[in-house]
Amino acid sequence: MSLSWYEASARQRVAALVDAESFEEFVGPEQRAMSPHLPLFDLPRAFDDGIVVGRGRLDGRTVYLAAQEGRFMGGAFGEVHGAKLVGLLRAAVTETPEAVLILFDTGGVRLQEANAGETAIAETMRAIADLRRAGIPVVGLVGGRAGCFGGGGLIAGTCSRLAVSEGGRISVSGPEVIETNKGAEEFDSKDRALVWRTMGGKHRRLAGGADRFCDDTVEAFRAAALDLIGRAPAFDLATLEAEQARLEDRIARFGDCRDATEIWARLGVNDPAGVPALSAADFDGLVAGLEGTTHDAR
Amino acid sequence: MTDWRRQRTARDARIAAGRAHADGKVVAAADVVDLLEAVLRPGDRVCLEGDNQKQADCLARGLSACDPDKVHGLHMVQSGIVLPEHLDVFETGIAKRLDYSYSGPQGARIAKMLYGGQIELGAVHTYLELFARYFIDLTPNVALIAGVSADRAGNLYTGPNTEDTPTVVEATAFKNGVVIAQVNQIVETVPRVDIPGDRIDFVVEADTPFYVEPLFTRDPAAVTETQILMAMMAIKGIYAEYGIRRLNHGIGFGTAAIELLLPTYGERLGLKGRIATNWALNPHPTLIPAIEAGWVEQVHCFGSEVGMDRYIAARPDIFFTGADGSLRSNRAFCQTAGLYACDLFIGSTLQIDLMGHSSTVTTNRVAGFGGAPNMGSDPHGRRHPSDTWMKAGREAQQTGDPALMRGRKLVVQLVETFGDGLVPAFVEHLDALELARTIGLELAPVMVYADDVTHIVTEEGIANLLLCRNADEREQAIRGVAGYTEVGRGRDKAKVEHLRARGIVRRPEDLGIEPLDADRSLLAAKSIKDLVHTSGGLYEPPARFRNW
Repeated sequence: MSLSWYEASARQRVAALVDAESFEEFVGPEQRAMSPHLPLFDLPRAFDDGIVVGRGRLDGRTVYLAAQEGRFMGGAFGEVHGAKLVGLLRAAVTETPEAVLILFDTGGVRLQEANAGETAIAETMRAIADLRRAGIPVVGLVGGRAGCFGGGGLIAGTCSRLAVSEGGRISVSGPEVIETNKGAEEFDSKDRALVWRTMGGKHRRLAGGADRFCDDTVEAFRAAALDLIGRAPAFDLATLEAEQARLEDRIARFGDCRDATEIWARLGVNDPAGVPALSAADFDGLVAGLEGTTHDAR
Repeated sequence: MTDWRRQRTARDARIAAGRAHADGKVVAAADVVDLLEAVLRPGDRVCLEGDNQKQADCLARGLSACDPDKVHGLHMVQSGIVLPEHLDVFETGIAKRLDYSYSGPQGARIAKMLYGGQIELGAVHTYLELFARYFIDLTPNVALIAGVSADRAGNLYTGPNTEDTPTVVEATAFKNGVVIAQVNQIVETVPRVDIPGDRIDFVVEADTPFYVEPLFTRDPAAVTETQILMAMMAIKGIYAEYGIRRLNHGIGFGTAAIELLLPTYGERLGLKGRIATNWALNPHPTLIPAIEAGWVEQVHCFGSEVGMDRYIAARPDIFFTGADGSLRSNRAFCQTAGLYACDLFIGSTLQIDLMGHSSTVTTNRVAGFGGAPNMGSDPHGRRHPSDTWMKAGREAQQTGDPALMRGRKLVVQLVETFGDGLVPAFVEHLDALELARTIGLELAPVMVYADDVTHIVTEEGIANLLLCRNADEREQAIRGVAGYTEVGRGRDKAKVEHLRARGIVRRPEDLGIEPLDADRSLLAAKSIKDLVHTSGGLYEPPARFRNW
């Protein structure tokens, strides 16, 4: 049976994603690069601070990759965690691998070291812009338990391309945060079907936020990564203007919708209520028949 | 001359008063308050059906809207205190006295009201105990119950969640009481008659369908590797060793893990058909993979579970169903079945003390009992043998004539040493004792008494209390599986090792279990969606359990 991306740990994902035995870790757990802040809060630390970074081969081509461990503090960005990611991206600018993959699994910034985490988010986005300007695609893969929230959602927005599975969620404010601030009438975070049809993989794909939908297997993510690396857009004025136009058009078309199913209906989906139950293959078939879900922008 | 028919005459008068607001037996939802004010008398004993799951919520709202000048001083006798309205009536004086079983979601508020003296508490019962008292000294004058549909003659279809209804109606209707049923709709013909119409005096067509709580759904995605390890130990160290075929499971994640390991780990151990075949159990969605793999012979249910109706209707060989195809549950019968016909109860708890007493009460919550104390007790009225029961009896037998030995029910507590928020599950003294002192309860709310518990399973190992020969051994056996809690660290290492040599304390390695094998890949379903898939699309999980 193929390995479930959702169930796998960050290390299992990395090991199974790249060519066999090709992964080489930077600043591995044996170096004990741990958070200097968590002990102040009496919280346990991890030897890798919840992120695995390194180099490997994908179909023979060298890629740099970072994988967040959603089971350690919700994959949140702390000082060391962020520094490992930023360091990897900056090294990639000079080492010029064929692509960089970010395996997101994060709730956002770690509250116990928020300033360092916020700084890391900004530095990461800057480094991604540098990489993309240098012609190196940065592909985000989202399908972990913690989803891709907070600053992780912002970083995802700067990637060249994104692949997402059904279990994956991409957003900035999480369901509980929205409910706390705006009330359960606005967004009931306990209604998981609502959460997933608003932030989940299928909706992100249909709304053009993600470029590829895949099954919850490492194999499917590998195939998606290879595909997306091959069709990353140029990072130039034309792309940015196309992205701006896409987003303006999106808000004009769907700004008054109250539920994702209304958006899907307006996109031309015949049976919006049936979308959540579709298999990946049927869903891909659906997407292929709709205009505007695949685009050159980003 | 003695009047032997006073209750009957009073009943006739109540019904006559109520008829003014009814068309035959049928009452509009808008007239509920008028009906209740006409039928109820101050000081009445009232059963407002609040079950584990199904709630007569329309009637509850009606009762709480009654004029306290007309309706007051009621004595509520109901199994579940679940809705806010169940307690609102005590704030307005409509109700005064309370006898109940379970108050999960209202546990904190009920504790406050008991402390403030707003509620005169009779007792906190187990389900069977309260049902029993309906027939002896807590017989309702008026019962307010819930069903799915009724015809105009009052024939009632309760749907899959029959739960307490037959018991409540039996006690009320046959002892000069008045029965008022709320239904989701009035129909020409009911799908099946769960309660004959001559036991129902009024039928209210409710404004909204009655509320059902999905209490028994555990998402496989949230099962941890610690819980899987504990489930492996329970299966190999208890289910296999005692050959447990007839059983009841509590509702925690630990027992859900056991259900999900049967078709994988259990299969690998060659246990199919030898364990876990006959159940007293709500239709847990996590049992679907075991049922589909042919492990389960039959399941009798206390109540139903939201989303399981189509699956159950498609598996009549497994479940008890009516001629209409839908589940027939019955809390009183299933509790009796769990008490007398099951050889094992396994469940979780919040606190266990040094002797093995356990409680789910914390200092500011009175959650009540429900069924666990019945399931988790050794029935002294049992007289039929089974290999499981006899083996446990032999282990517990200390002195006396072996020919007069009787068996023992296995009562297993499955707990992680630290619970939610890293609160230790093992304590020197139960919070229940403190609570009983604070609010003046004569009996401390103990869930399972020490003398009923036979095994404690934690991630550190299994303590077999049947084999302990004195209080000190018992205490050390409990400390010996209590991990890094204060209680666990207070163990006498040498004594625990001695108990281990005698098989009283067993570690995973003593059972041939490698803790690193406790992996989520062992789960027969890893998500709610897997359960839907395994059920062939028949299971329809409620929205809050879906991540698609």
